[in-house]
Amino acid sequence: MQELAQADESCSYLASALTIFVVGASGDLAKKKTYPSLFDLFRNSFLPEKTLICGYARSKKTDDEFRAQIGPYLKGGTDDDKRNFLERCVYRSGAYDSEEDVKSAFVGLRQFEKDTGLPLANRLFYFAIPPSVFVPIGTSLKNAVIGPSESGLAESEGVGWNRLIIEKPFGKDSESFELLHQNMGALYSEDHLYRIDHYLGKEMVKNLMTMRYSNAIFEPLWNRNHISNIQITFKENFGTKGRGGYFDGYGIIRDIIQNHLLQVLTIVAMEPPVAISGENYSNHVRNEKVKVLESIPPVQLEDCVLGQYLAPEDGSEPAYVGDPTVPDDSVTPTFASMVLRINNPRWEGVPFILKAGKALNERKAEVRIQFKQPPGAKAMFPGEGIPPNELVMRLQPDEAVYMKVNVKEPGLKTSPVTSELDLTYKKSFAGAFNVDAYTRLILDVLRGSQAAFVRDDELRAAWKIFTPVLHRIEREKIRPITYAYGSRGPEEADTLLAKMGFKYHADYKWSG
Amino acid sequence: MQADESCGYLNSALTIFVVGASGDLAKKKTYPSLFDLFCHSFLPEKTAICGYARSKKTDDEFRDHIAPYLKGGDEDEKHAFLDKCTYCSGKYDSEDDVREAFVGIQQWEESTGLRYVNRLFYFAIPPSVFVPIGTSLKNAVIGPSEKGNADDASGRIGWNRLIIEKPFGKDSDSFEKLSQDMGTLYSENHLYRIDHYLGKEMVKNLMTMRHSNSIFEPIWNRNYISNIQITFKEDFGTKGRGGYFDGYGIIRDIIQNHLIQVLTIVAMEPPLAVSGENYSNHVRNEKVKVLESIPPVELDDCVLGQYLAPEDGSEPGYVDDPSVPDDSITPTFASMALKINNPRWEGVPFVLKAGKALNERKGEVRIQFQRSPGASKMFPGEKIPANELVIRLQPDEAVYMKVNVKEPGLRTTPVTSELDLTYKSSFPDAFHVDAYSRLIIDVLRGSQAAFVRDDELRAAWKIFTPILERIEREKISPIKYDYGSRGPRESDELLARVGFKYHAEYEWRPPSSKL
Repeated sequence: MQELAQADESCSYLASALTIFVVGASGDLAKKKTYPSLFDLFRNSFLPEKTLICGYARSKKTDDEFRAQIGPYLKGGTDDDKRNFLERCVYRSGAYDSEEDVKSAFVGLRQFEKDTGLPLANRLFYFAIPPSVFVPIGTSLKNAVIGPSESGLAESEGVGWNRLIIEKPFGKDSESFELLHQNMGALYSEDHLYRIDHYLGKEMVKNLMTMRYSNAIFEPLWNRNHISNIQITFKENFGTKGRGGYFDGYGIIRDIIQNHLLQVLTIVAMEPPVAISGENYSNHVRNEKVKVLESIPPVQLEDCVLGQYLAPEDGSEPAYVGDPTVPDDSVTPTFASMVLRINNPRWEGVPFILKAGKALNERKAEVRIQFKQPPGAKAMFPGEGIPPNELVMRLQPDEAVYMKVNVKEPGLKTSPVTSELDLTYKKSFAGAFNVDAYTRLILDVLRGSQAAFVRDDELRAAWKIFTPVLHRIEREKIRPITYAYGSRGPEEADTLLAKMGFKYHADYKWSG
Repeated sequence: MQADESCGYLNSALTIFVVGASGDLAKKKTYPSLFDLFCHSFLPEKTAICGYARSKKTDDEFRDHIAPYLKGGDEDEKHAFLDKCTYCSGKYDSEDDVREAFVGIQQWEESTGLRYVNRLFYFAIPPSVFVPIGTSLKNAVIGPSEKGNADDASGRIGWNRLIIEKPFGKDSDSFEKLSQDMGTLYSENHLYRIDHYLGKEMVKNLMTMRHSNSIFEPIWNRNYISNIQITFKEDFGTKGRGGYFDGYGIIRDIIQNHLIQVLTIVAMEPPLAVSGENYSNHVRNEKVKVLESIPPVELDDCVLGQYLAPEDGSEPGYVDDPSVPDDSITPTFASMALKINNPRWEGVPFVLKAGKALNERKGEVRIQFQRSPGASKMFPGEKIPANELVIRLQPDEAVYMKVNVKEPGLRTTPVTSELDLTYKSSFPDAFHVDAYSRLIIDVLRGSQAAFVRDDELRAAWKIFTPILERIEREKISPIKYDYGSRGPRESDELLARVGFKYHAEYEWRPPSSKL
């Protein structure tokens, strides 16, 4: 069981050779994310000494042309580091649906693997491509290189493991997901698939689990007895910037909420897994996430506020439909706020509000847990307004955890005022290695840890929650409420929050 | 009627009569605090402050005597304040002397033309003269009525309030004697017994924090808390003034009063109210209940220490203090585990620790929670330190919760950091009030919550009297420790024995030092 032995925090893969095969190497994602993250791992010594990175795409290029293309995107490190890294990068062109092309690309790779003189070579396949070509290239690779065996060892005695990284979107509703899943499932088993949701690679999302379970003070409060409501928010302060064409086919719910925010929700809400680190903890975590998802009934349109941004009054930015790649009559939401229910013993009655929007007043992603009012405080502090406690985990920018607490107003008064117990990472962990989410996730793949990757049953359950409302929006052409570029979004979203019991504390602002 | 946060007393005249005005306490605490209140407009425009003591001085001599101790404010303010200060000399046990001192005061009170005048009596004197001066005042000025305005046919006296200072006895018997004697003169409603710890910002905040947040109360009990430490450390010795201290020792000087008062606020059940009108007795009722649930401390649960000169001889040992007998066995350090036998706290040790000549100056409350359940299974092979909520009373007020987070970067190991609220950084502009100033305002406002009631003292002495008597009867020798050290090692052993987990690698630093 090769998988088991390496599913830990050690870096035993460093002792073997490693071939990384980047499919779609000439595309945007590869250039902006895949190669920079591989470079990051390289210069921090997380890649084996014997590593070869082969880019593969349809366009014809020499190795040097390819290196010149990705070179400018590599950040950090010295010129020597960059040169050394680029020396390990080669490029082969070929059609995605051609076994022959793939086979011939692998001739050189096999030679490299053999030349290393190491007993094992591991192979990482990175699909930086749209899902429409998952199946063609997946089939070609399977037949030409990986072979039929589940363990991936059949094709060559010298191969340690084969792992496959794929990127969203994983379908656009239940049905399209099932189709993609069946096709890919016929080729690869779940053990080999690493579906990236880069939110799961964020420092604070990973920390959420550590914080919940390595402290005795949170778990007793982490339930419907003490929590009033939970908000998970993503705000972007810019629009589609002329690239709304792709977005328009998906909308904010599919682009942000159904994947990123829902994934964060599962980690906030799940029951304690059997283990969250050590050997083989991945499925313990994913089992709990699935349970949460399966406890959530489909979202109702009545519990949603949909929005689409207009140009700001001063006309300095275009409206969403002003984007030349977006149809003038588009009803695609660029903003959505929706209430989810988790019908299990821990959470029944606690609304989880997922909110995401483009072209808003600020850039921010956070989890905000609002506790109930302190019982009895009204009688104990007559005449004082006592805001509820909130635990806020700020995912970006500037990671922080803070708990809004009430303390005595310092000085001669005894009124409670709101302040916070604060942990701002910039201050407390000034020297910490600030890892990009992709870098972290690729390292997880090399280590064989699947916990931060989305399993098929999670996706199935997630689509069940959103498919009905998405279909209804499309069928009935529900008009989103328009909001001004740079605003807080539609007012109706605040009304929805208030209806769910959220108490907005206007006088307080976190100063971290 | 005036027991609220408003300053209704500002509309009346105010006479402050400071007994023992020429002494150290008056000079260093009473007058500077009154000046502080004056500068911040917490004294009525019509205020007269009359010092009274045995030594003969003119008003101006007295003003020269206290002036150097007045801090803050400008020269004009100092001038204006000193103008309100007068001085009369007289004997403590002489009704006539007191009456004479009040002739001028009464004239002044009438001259204000205000409907009411309030009178504050501040006893900055040792308890041996509480009763003589208390009797003189009662007979000459205050009169027999509970309301304290019987002598004043015009009914112009608003209220009479009396501030007294520790020590309030040195054991149960002496306390009862003092309480009876004072009790025949003054009712509890007029008495304001100062324990200046109750005037500290963070001690006052403890009540606000516990009861105005919903996140603390659910875990504030034996199910989640492993142990609680309340610590006072001083980094200097008796400095040649050990004579007074030697008759009391660290238990009476710090633990039986200051630390146990803090303990009651940490441990009490929620009072009916912690602010608003007439909340004082709600708070004090709950404090008494806690004290009455604590059995007397056993010697086996104590570590006593006395400091030696440090190795380099740069400081004297305790018994080298010329005012201390060479064979003194008075403890300058004590650490003791108390139990509270009630449903909330049974089984949770409260460790009170106080010492002089230690490695640092610090006052804090440290609540250590139980281990995170299941965590050793969920994080195989990782050490997971227990959470701690620390409330730092001095120096540099802070509240912080030691929490474990994922080590930032590529590892998933938990590391200990903290959720931090350091007052200096979060409230940089807050009015920094001295404990005495705060407490005197409470007296002016008629709020007794931060003053010690007689039944609290009775219950507190019950806890400590048996062990104090045993220490003295059996002449228990304290364990020697070096000046500037952490105190006797046995104290750490006591902590470990009651379940405290020391986390050596962790040290809290104020956030400013992290930048």
